[in-house]
Amino acid sequence: MEKVAIIGIGITPFKARYLDKTYFELAYDATKLALEDANKQGAEIAHNDLQSTVYGIYNELFERQFMPDIFINSYIGMINKPGTRIATGGATGGYTVRMAYAEVASGLSDLCLCLGVEKCNDCYDVQTGTTTPEVLNAIAYSADMTYEYPMGMMAASSYVSMVNAHFEEFGNPTEEQMALVSVKNHGNAINNPKAQSPMRITVEDVMNSRIICYPFKMLDCCLYSEASAALILANEEKVKELKVENPIWISGVGAANTDCFIGNREDMGRLYSNIYAAKVAYKMAGLDYDKIKEQIDVAELHDAFSGQEVISYEELGFVPFGEGGKWIEEGGPMIDGELPCCPCGGLIGCGHAVGATGIMSTGEAALQIRGDAGKHQVKIEKGRAVAHSIGGPGAAYAAIIIMENEEAR
Amino acid sequence: MEFQAHQIKDIIKINYRYTMGGQSKFFIELMNNKKLLGTKCTKCGKTWMPPRINCSECYEPAEWIEMKQTGTIDISTIVWYTTSAFIKAIPYAIGFIRLDGADTSMLQGIFSESLIPSKVKKGKKVRAVFQKEREGKMTDFFFVPEDEYESWIIKSEYEGGSE
Ligand SMILES: [Zn+2]
Repeated sequence: MEKVAIIGIGITPFKARYLDKTYFELAYDATKLALEDANKQGAEIAHNDLQSTVYGIYNELFERQFMPDIFINSYIGMINKPGTRIATGGATGGYTVRMAYAEVASGLSDLCLCLGVEKCNDCYDVQTGTTTPEVLNAIAYSADMTYEYPMGMMAASSYVSMVNAHFEEFGNPTEEQMALVSVKNHGNAINNPKAQSPMRITVEDVMNSRIICYPFKMLDCCLYSEASAALILANEEKVKELKVENPIWISGVGAANTDCFIGNREDMGRLYSNIYAAKVAYKMAGLDYDKIKEQIDVAELHDAFSGQEVISYEELGFVPFGEGGKWIEEGGPMIDGELPCCPCGGLIGCGHAVGATGIMSTGEAALQIRGDAGKHQVKIEKGRAVAHSIGGPGAAYAAIIIMENEEAR
Repeated sequence: MEFQAHQIKDIIKINYRYTMGGQSKFFIELMNNKKLLGTKCTKCGKTWMPPRINCSECYEPAEWIEMKQTGTIDISTIVWYTTSAFIKAIPYAIGFIRLDGADTSMLQGIFSESLIPSKVKKGKKVRAVFQKEREGKMTDFFFVPEDEYESWIIKSEYEGGSE
């Protein structure tokens, strides 16, 4: 397999709504930003040099278009080249990075565009005169339509079921421990100019915010967002030929789809896809599940809901099962902690533009180990980072990406 | 000049006559006889509820069996904010119910006189209550705490299951 590097990163601001851009215009913006970034690294390339695209777009109902990728393909000038769409729920971004990695690693392309976009807030609920219930309904059609959708299942009630089961088993995470994730990620977002929800808040603010789905409160949940994110991936020969200054190497990719029926799982308090995806990615990167916390500098996690970030600390091997809540109480995942998690603000701080999110997280983690994360830069010593994506009914899909910089290599 | 956005009203709507395929018997028995049917793998004996006519673990057929209408809450939540399709129903409780004898648990609505977390907690015993007007859909039934069963089945729109 070819070695694969990220040589360009483009992320648009995450916003509640872009009235001035369609999804394909947003996708164009991220592509242009990624090309500009690659050129800043010395690549001197244009869109015509890109040989293929892998598109990450979750939900047709958001875009009001059932094959949105082909319209982006036209708008970004990638005609007569291969393009493939990935749609794996909240994990769409991470999975798209994995498939773009495969496109280059396999030798099919030397230069590949990994492009995610989502524009959800054109959905509109006429009865309440607000956006969110209709956005949630568009998402709820991802639930099993025969047995689960008719019960009023949606993203928050799906995740909260697993978090509640985890609490029943381990007494962790508590509501206060979950609130700490919200405080951390809203706070980290203050130093990210692209974030939608920067906020300095307290645990009390989270506890007092309106109840959504017991025990998740408003501030435990990410907001749906509109944005696009793009990465340009190159093989080693191309990196040398283009004389790219700071390539970020993808050293591991892992993905797994666990049973989408929570009721079929041996333990309902597990997001099994996390565990399997992490183990595959770490092994490929030559890292250890049991020592991973000591082997990486930073993790961009998929914190769609605060409690799920806590469980992810455990399932990604940062701390033993049942100790995620204690770890955040001790400051472990804080921006100055032993392993900063979501220094960009994550989904709770940045917003969740589903197809773009995992690509943004991967790009943010890459920027960290490139030393280009700006005001939310964390200390880099080992030169390695993890990006995490999870989603779908029962959080069935997960993808994990491991990256390293030139020094770590 | 300041940017002026143009928006249009639109809706996507598709009509279906969706077949339940091999699962049809579950919905027919629910509608006509207030029975809850699961399936049992002919090889490993695993009981699937919701039913599947093939065992996903052994790749062998699973046979229909009638399930008990009592079970236990495995996990639940109370929903206070939701999708446009359900927002008129809030607050409502849903949970994963393991019917007695089943190896899996199914998502269902849990109705209670007092919708508080302790009433719909893990480990609570529940029993199925049926709509009098049934259409062969999951909404034809729901679960109530076992000690509230009698008070639910005397309501005009509901009734108890088959014994
Ligand atoms: Zn079997």
